[in-house]
Amino acid sequence: MTHQASEQSAKQRLLAAVRPLAIACGLVGIALLASFPLQRVIAYPFVFLFFGAIMVSAWLGGAVAGLWAALLASLVVNFFFIPPLYSITVAKEAQTFWAAFILCAFVLAWVISGRQRAERLVRQANDRLEGMVLERTAALERSNQELGERERRLRELTEAIPQQIWRAGPDGALEYLNRPLRSYLGLEPQQPIAEQLAEWVHPQDWPQLEAAWARALFAQESFEAEVRIRSGEGLWRWFLVRGNPQRAGDGSIAHWYGIHIDIEQQRRAQQGLQTAQEDLSRLSRTLTLAEMAASIAHELNQPLTAVVTHAYACREWLRDDRLNLERAKTTAEKIVQESTRASEVVRRVRRLFQKESPVCQQVQVNELIEQLAVLLRPEAIRRNVEVRLELAEELASLEADPVLITQVLLNLALNGMEAMNGMATDAVLTIGSSAAEPGYVQIWVEDCGPGVPTELAQRIFEPFFSTGKDGTGMGLAICRSIVEAHGGRIAVETAASGGARFQFSLKADA
Amino acid sequence: MNPSSSAPREMVYIVDDDPSICEGIGNLLEAMGIATCSFASAEAFQAAWEPDNRGCLLLDARLPGMSGVELQERLEKYGVGLPVIFMTAHGDMAMVRKVLKGGALEFLVKPFQQDELIHAIQQAFEQDRKRRAEQAALTSIQQRIDRLSERELQVMARVTAGKLNKQIAAELGVSEITVKLHRRKVMERMEAASLAELVKLCEKAGFPNKPPATDGK
Repeated sequence: MTHQASEQSAKQRLLAAVRPLAIACGLVGIALLASFPLQRVIAYPFVFLFFGAIMVSAWLGGAVAGLWAALLASLVVNFFFIPPLYSITVAKEAQTFWAAFILCAFVLAWVISGRQRAERLVRQANDRLEGMVLERTAALERSNQELGERERRLRELTEAIPQQIWRAGPDGALEYLNRPLRSYLGLEPQQPIAEQLAEWVHPQDWPQLEAAWARALFAQESFEAEVRIRSGEGLWRWFLVRGNPQRAGDGSIAHWYGIHIDIEQQRRAQQGLQTAQEDLSRLSRTLTLAEMAASIAHELNQPLTAVVTHAYACREWLRDDRLNLERAKTTAEKIVQESTRASEVVRRVRRLFQKESPVCQQVQVNELIEQLAVLLRPEAIRRNVEVRLELAEELASLEADPVLITQVLLNLALNGMEAMNGMATDAVLTIGSSAAEPGYVQIWVEDCGPGVPTELAQRIFEPFFSTGKDGTGMGLAICRSIVEAHGGRIAVETAASGGARFQFSLKADA
Repeated sequence: MNPSSSAPREMVYIVDDDPSICEGIGNLLEAMGIATCSFASAEAFQAAWEPDNRGCLLLDARLPGMSGVELQERLEKYGVGLPVIFMTAHGDMAMVRKVLKGGALEFLVKPFQQDELIHAIQQAFEQDRKRRAEQAALTSIQQRIDRLSERELQVMARVTAGKLNKQIAAELGVSEITVKLHRRKVMERMEAASLAELVKLCEKAGFPNKPPATDGK
């Protein structure tokens, strides 16, 4: 291989040495041949032709070829065209011409080859530059492509991740929603995201989210909120919305990134727990009632049993075949004693259930209603009922037992929610106060359920009157007795919405 | 243990924490000629109980300390066969089921009728008598069996298993005459008039409690 290579390089070297000579010979030959016919047309054509041959040789073959051409041209001109013709000698009168020719030929060869070299160098430099530019461009294109690929993968990741993700600008305006979020919300892939946030979030939860967002934007801190978000099919699910700021190099907020975590199951479990708790407390309440009944029965049955057995004994003692008047008399005494004991039990039980007069204190009705609204919130959410308050601004305080009044309100509110059971949308419960009637404070609870038929308006306040399947029929009776114990009145009427409007008034402080 | 001899009287043992109930029932039963004995708690009854106490237990289900139900369970556990009549002031069906399953004879809800009470007590007494008679008979049979010799027991086991004298003789390796002799002795000592009676006695006493050695060969 090395042998071959060296042979090849030797060949190249030989070629490099021969090539200028060949070029010079060829061109000078052509110039010579062209000179003879042209001699008849113009004088001394060989000068231009040979100079041309030298120029072309120098241009094509470089300095060596140029010099070769100059040398050859000088000799050929001397031999063919300078007198004496066809001899190497130079006539005295032609010596100056020949010398000038040689000088011009060599200068020409030198100048042209110099030019040619410079030109070649420039071209080479140009070529190198171009190559470099091409190389750079390719590298740039490659890295651009890589960048694009990486971004595409990243985007694919955010699109493919089974989490709902969004990005918002520093001002909080939504810029991007990933595919799962879009598909949950039922948005078309290219549908623009305007300020629709309020439409997606449940109206009851919106204020909470809005406040959290506003606080986060102001404080430039992350936030989270638990809200219901409507799916494309119009169903509500609970989500934990969490937003985190992404800071730029200078510490300012570049973007907000948000994630929605589905907590519907968790919420349901929570609600289930709550329901179970409620059931439990309801059960324990009935159990207590049953226990109490059993205890009263036991208390009464003991003396009754004694009375009855003594009475039987008395009858036995008075039988003809074993008459024992003494024993009959003492037994009758016992009967009286035990009967008294039984009636004592009855009296004690009655005392136990005696109504106690309310513990009165100064009460601000609006405060009670607001507290109640807080109490009602979990139940309202569970039943999908919106609770509205319509409170009179200037309301006199009144003397009442706040616990009992709250119980009345709670009872009426729960009844109202119960009445709206099964309403798919727009279940609204309104609790309000008014000072319309002078000297009284009016409180009302209004639902938009089916309402109370007028013929039942009086009866529903009677004990044990119930329209519900599981009702004890005591709720409204208790409400009435509490209101009346406070010297007030309670009534039901039909609301403008067709629902029931329970209203009671209590005497206001003078 | 002999039912016919001088045993204590049949009695109703009343256990109720309410003295007026004990007094009322005591008064009624006394008027009807039934002896009673009252206890304010299950523990008091337990402490006073003797194995030859006869009659029945009139037990309140709810008592301070050990409850009536618990007392019944204890009676059951220790094999005290005294019939139990429960009474309670509130009919709790779960409890009723439980005590009746536990062997209680009757469950009276206070206040109960005279007839209900008397009927239950009579039934209980009847049951107690029957139980005692059975127990006495059993004791007597056991005593008789205890009097038999080893060889006589072997013979009796085979006789009651329905084997012929010849087979028994072969099994025990004695002559048929000897078997006949043993057999007569067994009938005498067991006070059995016939083979059928002997079989019945053995059955009652659970004899033989292990299978006879027919597979002795």
